[in-house]
Amino acid sequence: MNLGRKREKRSKGGLAIAKSRFVRGVTIPLLLYESLGIFVLGWAFILMFFNYSSGRLGGPILGLGGSNPFVGLGNFIEMVKGTSVEAGLFRTSLKNTLIFAFAILPLNLVITLPLAYLLESIGERFKAFYRTIYFLPVLTSSVGVALIWMSMYDPQAGWINTIIRFFGGTPVSWLSDPRAGFMGVSVAMWAVILAYLWQDYGYNMVIFIAALQAIPQELKDAAMIDGATSWQVFTRIILSLIRPTILFVCVMTMLSSFQVFDIIQVMTNGDPGNQTQVLMLDIFKNAFRYQRLGWAAAESFVLFLIVMGVTIIQMRALRTDWEY
Amino acid sequence: MRKTILFVLVILALLMSACGGKTVEQGKVTLRLWTHTNNAFNAGYDALIAAYQAEHPNVTIQRESFDYELYLQTLQTAMPAGEEADILQLFGTWTSQYYERLAPVPESVMTLADAQKIFYAAPIGGYIVDGVLYGFPQEFNCEYGGVLVNKTKFEAAGLAFPPQWQTMDDVLADAQALSKKDDTGMQSVAGFHFTSADPISASFLAGIKQRGGDYWNADHTGFTFNTPEARAQLQWMVDAVGMGVVDPIVFNDSTNFVIDAFFQSKVGIGYIGTWAIAEGRVNFPDFTDEWDYVYLPPVQGDPVFVADSGWGLTVSPNSKHQDVAWDFVKFVTTVTANALKFNTASGTIPAMLEVAKSAEIAEVMPWVAKALDILPFGEYLGNMPDRDLVMYEIIYPRILEVLQGVKTVDETLLVIETEANSTFK
Repeated sequence: MNLGRKREKRSKGGLAIAKSRFVRGVTIPLLLYESLGIFVLGWAFILMFFNYSSGRLGGPILGLGGSNPFVGLGNFIEMVKGTSVEAGLFRTSLKNTLIFAFAILPLNLVITLPLAYLLESIGERFKAFYRTIYFLPVLTSSVGVALIWMSMYDPQAGWINTIIRFFGGTPVSWLSDPRAGFMGVSVAMWAVILAYLWQDYGYNMVIFIAALQAIPQELKDAAMIDGATSWQVFTRIILSLIRPTILFVCVMTMLSSFQVFDIIQVMTNGDPGNQTQVLMLDIFKNAFRYQRLGWAAAESFVLFLIVMGVTIIQMRALRTDWEY
Repeated sequence: MRKTILFVLVILALLMSACGGKTVEQGKVTLRLWTHTNNAFNAGYDALIAAYQAEHPNVTIQRESFDYELYLQTLQTAMPAGEEADILQLFGTWTSQYYERLAPVPESVMTLADAQKIFYAAPIGGYIVDGVLYGFPQEFNCEYGGVLVNKTKFEAAGLAFPPQWQTMDDVLADAQALSKKDDTGMQSVAGFHFTSADPISASFLAGIKQRGGDYWNADHTGFTFNTPEARAQLQWMVDAVGMGVVDPIVFNDSTNFVIDAFFQSKVGIGYIGTWAIAEGRVNFPDFTDEWDYVYLPPVQGDPVFVADSGWGLTVSPNSKHQDVAWDFVKFVTTVTANALKFNTASGTIPAMLEVAKSAEIAEVMPWVAKALDILPFGEYLGNMPDRDLVMYEIIYPRILEVLQGVKTVDETLLVIETEANSTFK
């Protein structure tokens, strides 16, 4: 009996040691990795209070001070009140980013949710096929998507203008005409929104399909028995039940929309006349083209605050206190 | 636990040893050279590295190349950390932004006065900050005045080829004859495509100079763009667009960029630097139209223009073998035969006067011989606080707005002056 207990103890001790080794082995590299991330964030946080350029020597401590002077909240004050070209570009970029994000979210929901519902209602044989078709753009690289849409938008040889010409219409310079607009937003911005939507909608659609599949059939059947129409089932039952999913989709779509970069950089690089210049592109240009790392860090912080604020608002507005 | 600490120490030791780029063992010197990725340029560097190593068997030069955007980022992160290579390929105008992190050229290598004698003023100007020389140029980056001309289109339009332009009016007359529109009124062929970023900036600044004005104030502490000369030049550009030689909505930097459009037969006369020749040949091998490269006449007076230096070599102050690094840089950039090798390999206009005027260059790159009359009129752009910002975020987009009919000449000049001066803050 005693021997058995000893064995049990020994084996437990061995397991504990093995667990401890595993935890140390995993935790130490993770901590090192995380500390690197924290260092980068900390460095960006410090930089936003300096007029810092990596080209200048600056002071003795990390190049801060001297020719990279401390400006306190100067960068933020300049963003709000300044007349400099970078302040003007920041405000334009911020406005464009908000237009982009707040156009993408409703358009994305309007497309993906009904599409997911439709796909859920068709036969099993076609479901996988259509899901694959709609999800393919998500798997395609943004640069590839941008190039495809650029060729479609080409003012002379693009097929969109070819169709317009065929029907006797006037062709449009989709990505380069600063005078063309629709609903107060430039045509170039609508053009990149459309390209982005096309690439992105498959992702949300798959998430909605998963949410729709999780709704118990009995709930829908019960509503139908009680005399609800299909529209009423969709609006009163399904929409209510997938609210947590809608919240998730809203937050993720907003996050990615605020951080849009590659597709715009390739398609317009902010043109025409900065009408498609978004914050991430402006941050990139300031940091890596114009070497204004302090300014770029301050812009990044503003973007972080906006994204956090919008996310909190969305979470409050769409939260639910129940589960099914 | 001890094993874990030992493991971490070993990893750290390996990382530290990997970070050390230079090695010195028994008189052997290994230097690193950073360049941006350009196959033609790097072919030139590799040939000269091999020649230098043959003369100096104890020296090894390792060339490391980065894509243009990545190179900018690498410089910005490596230089503050002191981890940059011994020898750095820099564009002349970058020198005024990085000079605090560069080693001045020792007088024993070459004095500033001697350098100014052997190089054209525009390219060497980029390597001088506050009277101190920080490197040597290898190319004369001339964005002014050179145009690709489509012989096939000239002949189809019944125009003389090669063009015998005496004035810019002659150019515009030919351009009008070359321009074409499709059935819907959209321009399908631009007679004179000058509405990309570099041509707009180059022709605007050169026009100001040729009309007797300047965009710098007297002590070079600010810009003066709201002047009669700038107004006259901008109005000339607006009038050219009004004549229908180019539609800047359809032909600009992001749509129908001049090189792409020219080599797709959408342009009769395309304003662009000589670097476009090599790029066009590589990227559009199936282009069948006959074409050439010629120079425009000035809008007025002498063909005075400004140029933003060109690519060249500098040395890091953190290099442990600065003497060897400077010796290599001098070998590559100031020895006539070597500079010639580089320019012929890279297809660039030589920064050295002697090389530009050589018979070899005239044979291999005939367009350089055509430029010899204007190159001496080239002045250095001047050390701007942020050249790229002024050229690509202020001058180009603002002028394009005027040409596209969104803004007026007067309000644009005022905005350009205000925004450009804000870069001094």
